[in-house]
Amino acid sequence: MPAWGLKLGAAVATLLALAGSTDYVTHHLKNAAAPLHPPVEDAVAVEATPAPSGAPAPSGTPLPQLVPTRRGQTRPSSSPGPLITLQPGVRATALPQVTLTHVS
Amino acid sequence: MDLITWEIGRITGLASYAALCISIVSGLALRTSVLDFLAKNRALRALHDWTLWLWIPLGVAHVGALFIDQTARLELIDLVVPFQTDYGQVAIGLGTISLDLFVIIVVTSWLRRRMNNTLWTWIHRTSYIAFLALFLHAYLGGTDFDSPIVSAISWSAAAGLGLFAVSRIFFGRLAE
Repeated sequence: MPAWGLKLGAAVATLLALAGSTDYVTHHLKNAAAPLHPPVEDAVAVEATPAPSGAPAPSGTPLPQLVPTRRGQTRPSSSPGPLITLQPGVRATALPQVTLTHVS
Repeated sequence: MDLITWEIGRITGLASYAALCISIVSGLALRTSVLDFLAKNRALRALHDWTLWLWIPLGVAHVGALFIDQTARLELIDLVVPFQTDYGQVAIGLGTISLDLFVIIVVTSWLRRRMNNTLWTWIHRTSYIAFLALFLHAYLGGTDFDSPIVSAISWSAAAGLGLFAVSRIFFGRLAE
């Protein structure tokens, strides 16, 4: 095979890899099991901290602290959410008990 | 914007890995006879020299996209000095080692005529170490490496190259 044929084959193979990677990545934007998780929390906390200066800090609603869950998604965690109690909800009734009279 | 740079980083990382595999297998083929059925050494040499133009742009795009990406938070020093990041030190550090070695290999290849041939050969052989570091970088840090299809292709390519490299070390060029 001539050199140009090899080069063409290599270019096509690379383009196929590029197209396959693009297709895969665009269909799998997030991977919760990704091994690397940059510390987003620290960056947000630093940005939310007012710069030390003579001017008074703006008194607005404090931003909720952002905790990274997966890439591109954050959830507020400044205050704990309502707790759900999972206790038995079955109550006894005043009706007479059901008696089975069927005999097979 | 951040999502775009993240996607480009992942896409070009996978594609540059594939292009680099082609480059290394064509280089190994010059010293073994694994691709003799396909072409003569002259054509394989031309292919090996030319594949730079496939994997370098993709590698540069991979590094550049992750450098721009605000979440990855890479700094200029992280591209040169390994193990400086505040997360994923080993995984990213191996990528830095790989990058440094490939830069040295490419630059010395361009300066080959002005260099001692033995020195150039030994520098060029570090491409095996660079590829190993690259593979471990992908294995330890790759977002898509746990996918069965990506993992299967990557492991197969690495295993094939490993087999060729071992045959190159122990058997040299096979008899015609």
